[in-house]
Amino acid sequence: MPEVIETQLKKGVLALCVLSLLSRGDGYAYDIASRLAAAIDMGEGTIYPLMRRLQGDGLVETYLVESPSGPPRKYYRLTDAGRASYAQQKADWAAFAGAVNTILGAGE
Amino acid sequence: MTRAEFMTRLRRGLNGLPPTAIAEAAADYDAHFDEALAAGRSEEEAAAALGDPDRLSRELRAELGLKRWEENKSPSSAISAVLGLLGLGALDVIILVPLLMSVISAVFSLYLAVVIGIFTGGALLVVGPFIGEFSNPWLSVAGGIGIVAASTAAGALVTLFCIGLVNAVVWWGRLHYRLLKPAMESQGLRDPS
Repeated sequence: MPEVIETQLKKGVLALCVLSLLSRGDGYAYDIASRLAAAIDMGEGTIYPLMRRLQGDGLVETYLVESPSGPPRKYYRLTDAGRASYAQQKADWAAFAGAVNTILGAGE
Repeated sequence: MTRAEFMTRLRRGLNGLPPTAIAEAAADYDAHFDEALAAGRSEEEAAAALGDPDRLSRELRAELGLKRWEENKSPSSAISAVLGLLGLGALDVIILVPLLMSVISAVFSLYLAVVIGIFTGGALLVVGPFIGEFSNPWLSVAGGIGIVAASTAAGALVTLFCIGLVNAVVWWGRLHYRLLKPAMESQGLRDPS
């Protein structure tokens, strides 16, 4: 079932995508969720357990910012450990994707 | 699904967790609804985009159980970590239950042997020298100390083994639910049911 493979791939790189978004600038969960959901088609709710895990692992930390509409927003930013983990995961991903692409290219 | 319905199902799924953990998780999803409404989406749209609240609460519950185990290696946190993974379907109950039962009974017998060893050694140490069975009472004292020390060491080894075992189960479960199970579950979420 190609669909299963597709979803597995998405799930596997979700943390990497969140780290990548945060590496370009701090963000709040709703924003991260809607941007990722639009780009890779996944349930937005999955973001929250993931953010909690990243926070528990010390890769991200939170701070509150007053919001123009409603209560203060919880922003996430990368910690030093988060930046290091992002660099590592990004390199792993590039190596993996490169190897797969080479094989796929060779098959044509 | 309305916002109230989503929140009720989420809270029901988190029932039994520490109140602060429930409040934090509920606050996350409440804030999400606020943002979604402010962005012009309806409650139903926002709830549908979030996904299944039962599934999300199981994921949060497993996450907290694993964190508790990592911070504090106690029998109760081991149980909550394993139960969380079971609830998520990351560990197969049919395979795990008989396996766990035999491991638990083996560990229990080992601990029993340790306790018996400590008592036997202690008795030899305290009573041995006075019953005149031994040619040299110091032999009995030394033997008693030896048995107590060996039993204690064995007990420590069994404990280390248990910690290693739960770590392995947690590692295995995490690996599976991060990659395989969520994929299957979110397949299910696409169904209109």
